Order: sequence, then structure tokens, then C-alpha cells
Amino acid sequence: MKKETVIDLGKTRISGNHAIVWGGLEAGVRVTTAYPGAPISELQGTYEQLAGNLRRDNVFSQKVGEALDKAGYQLTAHWGTTTNEPNAVGMALGATICKGDSKEREFLTEEEWSLVWGETVFGKDDKKRIPVGSRVMTSFKHLGGNTAADALRTAMNVIPYVGGLGIASGDDRQATSSQTQQDNKVLFAMHYRMPVFELHSPVVAHRTVRNCYRLFEELGTPFGVIMNYNLAYREVTVDLTLNVDLEANGRQKSFKKDPQYLVTIGPHIRPREAKWLARLLPMIRKKIKENYEFLGSEVVQYGSKPKTMLVVLGPFREDFKMVGHDESLRRRLESKFGDVVAVAGDLVFPQPEELYTELISKHPIERILVFEEGYTRVVYLQLLDMVNRLGLNVKVLDRTIPYEPRIYDRFSYIDHILAA
Amino acid sequence: MAATPKPAVQEEVTYMRPVSNCAGCGDTKVSWSVLEGMRRYNKEHKLKGKDRYEVVYVADRGCGNLQGWHDYRIVDTIFFMGSGVIIGEGIKESCSDKQVVITASGDGGYNFNLNAIKIAGKNKKWGAINVIYNNFVIRMTGGQIPLETDFDKEGVSLGYEEVIHVNPFHVNDNAELFKSLVDRYLKKQKVMVVADGVCVLDMMRDTRAAGVKMGHFAKTEECLDLKFATEKERMAREEPEKFKDLPRFKCRQCGIGLRCHALLNNDPSICQACGSCKQFPCVTDCLAFQGLSFADSISIDQLKTMSKT
Repeated sequence: MKKETVIDLGKTRISGNHAIVWGGLEAGVRVTTAYPGAPISELQGTYEQLAGNLRRDNVFSQKVGEALDKAGYQLTAHWGTTTNEPNAVGMALGATICKGDSKEREFLTEEEWSLVWGETVFGKDDKKRIPVGSRVMTSFKHLGGNTAADALRTAMNVIPYVGGLGIASGDDRQATSSQTQQDNKVLFAMHYRMPVFELHSPVVAHRTVRNCYRLFEELGTPFGVIMNYNLAYREVTVDLTLNVDLEANGRQKSFKKDPQYLVTIGPHIRPREAKWLARLLPMIRKKIKENYEFLGSEVVQYGSKPKTMLVVLGPFREDFKMVGHDESLRRRLESKFGDVVAVAGDLVFPQPEELYTELISKHPIERILVFEEGYTRVVYLQLLDMVNRLGLNVKVLDRTIPYEPRIYDRFSYIDHILAA
Repeated sequence: MAATPKPAVQEEVTYMRPVSNCAGCGDTKVSWSVLEGMRRYNKEHKLKGKDRYEVVYVADRGCGNLQGWHDYRIVDTIFFMGSGVIIGEGIKESCSDKQVVITASGDGGYNFNLNAIKIAGKNKKWGAINVIYNNFVIRMTGGQIPLETDFDKEGVSLGYEEVIHVNPFHVNDNAELFKSLVDRYLKKQKVMVVADGVCVLDMMRDTRAAGVKMGHFAKTEECLDLKFATEKERMAREEPEKFKDLPRFKCRQCGIGLRCHALLNNDPSICQACGSCKQFPCVTDCLAFQGLSFADSISIDQLKTMSKT
């Protein structure tokens, strides 16, 4: 089978949900499960259409579906079958833990491979290849994070067998169609302790999703992507080009027995929890720092001697991009903060501490202003902890808005930044 | 000499749980039958090497399955409560055609995640063999009163073509059953196997009341574990420093395999006469059963008649 197929579909109107589907398809996702709910139903609905379970009723699924059919893409979608979120995640877990194939290392050194995979049944592989299987995506709205918490927390106990699992959460933080106003960043970051991203734009979200599969599959961890209500539904026109990883899509299927990992009992998981916190998580921070731009984040600098660092996440990040194109905004930014360095990231957890310490040692940074949306201060708290723990002479200030503005609020994120 | 760097994390010294199933529990005897059934299937079809089929034993949480792991090592996965069947459905999506996914849960797991049982029953893509340990009858965890379930009616309505009730102590018959179920699984049929075996402790009480004397197992001196026990006694006396490094068992086949306290401790006085060992192939042919067992019958009247003859 050809390793990668590039499919150019021309200008196409897509939503934020479509963008995640796009990223999953580029990564070669073979199994998708979900429990529907606003704002994320469309994500699995699209996979269902592409898998042939539903009629293809929009331009995106018609164009992409036809192209994938021609390429021989394998896709199984479970929506009607998975009757709630724990079952959607459970089925995804089962499909992910089967590591019947292997691939060359792309990101890990030999030493890092030994740390991640060395104690599994694959640990004796002289070539230190990455055990792989189906790439899997599961999705639910924010309430699903509560009902599937048992499954998701357990998934973290079988690292590295859950590499290749992507989890998408659609957050309805203003309870437009939900019974709670909830921010799943806290669940993913603080409770599951899973690498998690808040996507910021339908135009580039697919790259983040695709590259997360590539990196975190090697690291043996699942990853989460969170979309707010507006992003999930917002439509943009893009040049739709699919670089589909057909090799990942057509991998050999097999379940390899490794009950020391896959039987989650106290004696098995206690050492692994300790290992996760003490050794794996620091290594993951390092790999994230090394691949920061690859994961869709960037560091932007305005002026030569920045004393202020802006950390902009999600919709703040999207609006902040306008500073690069709009001279008047650029002047307002300068008059407000002087020279600044901006960490514009999709990453919520774990924050790459080395990146911050490097920037703080390189520039005369005096304060860090954190802009994140929602009810949680996940990034702020991580940076505060870092500064206190490392004894850095920098103030960390919370400039968050404690909610998600609704579409008709006409909220201007860039004005909020410039008024901070 | 350079100092050896201290490891960042002290590896925890962990111990496996000891055998702690209730005396006479039949749960993991079924799991023995599952494996034995697959072994017999491969043998009957002369399948070797890559052609052989393999069981992927996807279990739910619960003492039967946890013990299945701790001492029998049959279990391949245990995740969260009620997850066995749905994890199994996921595995079916990504495992090879030569792997037969068999799921097992107690009736707690069954009721906890009835959804998943239904998903497996209605999924047209794969076959399904779901083993349910009926705690209401077996009285797992010391006699809790769980929700009584009519598996016959529910199983059919959940999409299973057949609900088969088994006595877990009839390990040989059950192995034959699971052998026959492999073909049905491969034909995408759905079968629910309910391990209904009545509580051995209750049966013992009833037979005593009826005046029936039940038998017990007996081992000859050729038993590897008995020989090993003698060696251990000598070592404890003469070389106590080596004693701590000795394994607990030499053979592990009958006691560990059948989850039997009596066999494990070589103590016929605590034998419950379930009769599993009667059907179990001892590697040294040194295990026998003397007298009546519940493998012969679970009918008190029939046992009475048999004891007179």
C-alpha cells in the first residue's frame, strides 16, 4: 500500500468539527466511537457518513468520502452502537490496545524508547521499534467527560498501550444545550492528567490533530483535544488537501497479551503511576518542547527586550494573530505592554517548562499574563506552580475570562487582551 | 569509585494477592474450561502454529476474574467496572482473525453495563461469547443479594441466539461446550453462557442432612507438589537461608488451576466434593477422587441412590 496519499479537493467550506475529522483522516484513523451531543455530534456524524453508515449529506463528506473510497481507506464508525460515553471510550480503548504492528521511531531516542516501552512485552525488541495498531478517535460533549471519567482515568493506567487514541471533547461552557456550565480542561489536565489541547481555529486544527497522533502514539499516551462551542460550529472556507497516512490506516491487526499492563490491579498500576509522574511526564514535557511548533503552537516576539510575556490560548490566540496583520493593533499592543513575547499555544497540559525558563533567562521578563477561556485556570496554575517551584523572579497574572462568550455576545478577545 | 546515582523513584515491592476465593467457588473453573475448550478445538482441527486459534480473555472486575488473573493467569485484560464486554467489542475491531474474544463478567458487571451486553448482542460484524457468573446462585462475596436476573428472557431480547446454563464444576463438559462454541463464534453467532452452578457449601449441607456421605480427593506420593513439600521441609530444616527463594509450588496444575483450597493445601478434610479435580487431567496421573462428588450429580435423590449402590 502506498504510504501517503495526497488528495486535493479544492476550496471547501468546513466547520470546526470537520477540521478534527480532517486531522483524524490524515492520521489514518481506522476506528471511531462517540456518543453524540452538541456541539460535537457533527464530528462523529461525519465519520458515520464517511464509513457508509449514513447518507453523505454535505459537500465535505461527499468530496472526502469519494476520495477515501478510491484510496481504499478503512474506517469503522460506532455511534448508534455505543449507547453512552463510557461505552464509546471503552470500545475505543479496546481497539487501541491491540498492537499488532510496528513502525520506526520518529521522535524517541533509544533511551526514551526504553523508558516508555522497555517494560512491556515489546521491551526485548533490539531495533526498538514502536508497537502500533489502529489509530482510534472517540468524541463526546463536555458532559461525557463526567460519565466516562472511570474509563478515561483507567486509560491512563495502561500507558503506553493507549498510544494512538485521540479524544475530542466539545465544550458547551455557556450551557447553550447542556445542564452544566463546564470546562473539561480541568478534567483532562488535573484529573486524567492527560496531554490536552484547546484548538483555536478550524483552518489549522487538522494539523494539530494529525501531529498529535504521530507524536503521542510513540509516547504511548492518549491525547485530548477540546473545542469550544463557537469553534465546533464555526464554518470557514479552506483549500482542502488531505495528506492521508494510508500506512497507519492499513496496519496489521492483532492483540498481544501483556496482562502485567492490561490487567489494572493495584500492584500493577501503583509503580506505573509513580513512573508516570516522576519519569514519563517530564520526558513528555521535553518532547512537547522539542516539537512545540509541530504541535501547532508558536512563540512570537514583538520588540527586542520584552519584559512582558503573554500566554494566549484558544480563541485568545486566534484573535491575537490579528496583531501580525493590523498595524493599529500592533501600536496598541506596544503602548500597553511595550516589547512582548507571546507564547501562542494550543497546549493546555502539560506545559513545557523548559520553554518558559529558556525564554525567561533569555529576556528580561518581569511578568507573565495568562489568557485562557473557561472556568478553569489550568495554564495559569501550572505556570504559577513552575515559577514558585523554580524560584523564578517573575509574576504570573491571571487575565482569564471566566466563561465562554456566546456567538451573539460579539466578544472581542483582542480587545480584552489589550485592555488587560 | 563513582557513586551510583539513586533512582528517581523507588520501585514498589508488590505482592500478588493470595488465593482468596470463597471455598467451593466455581467462577474460575469456567475460565479453565474456556481455555481447555480452545485447546481441544485446535487439536480436533489439527491446527498448529499460526493456524491455531487463540482465546483473548477479556474480563470484568470482580473476584472471580481478579483471581483468574492472580493465580490462574488466564485473564488478558481487566479495566473498569462493567467494561469487560465493551472492551472486548473494541478488541474485536483491532485483533486478528485467529483470535477469539471471550468476555466474562459477574452478574454485577452484567447489570452495571447492560448496554454493552446489548451492543455485543446486536453487533452484526462479530460473533460473541459472553460468560456470566450468576452471583445470585453462586453467592459470590459471602452471600450478597444481587438483582435477580432472568437471563433466558433477557439474553434473547438482548440479541443472543442462545443462553446456555452450565454447572461450573462440570469442567470437562464445559470444555466440550466451549470447544463447540468456537465455530459458532466464527459464524458470527452470539451465545451467552451463564455459570449457574449452585453453591457447593449449600449442597454439602443438604447432602449431610439427607445422610449422604460425599467423597474427597486423594493424591499419591508421585504428586510433584507433595514431593516438593518434602523437599521444602528438608530445606527448612537444613538450609533455611535458601528457603525464602523457593517457589510456593512445583506443579500448580490442579490446585491453582481449579482454584481449590483443599488441593492447594493437600487437605482432603476441607474438600467440598465439587468434583472438578475428577475431570482434570493431572500431569503425573497421581490425582484421584474417592466416593461421590457433585460432578456425578447435583441431585440429592440421585446421590442418595448412588451412595446405596
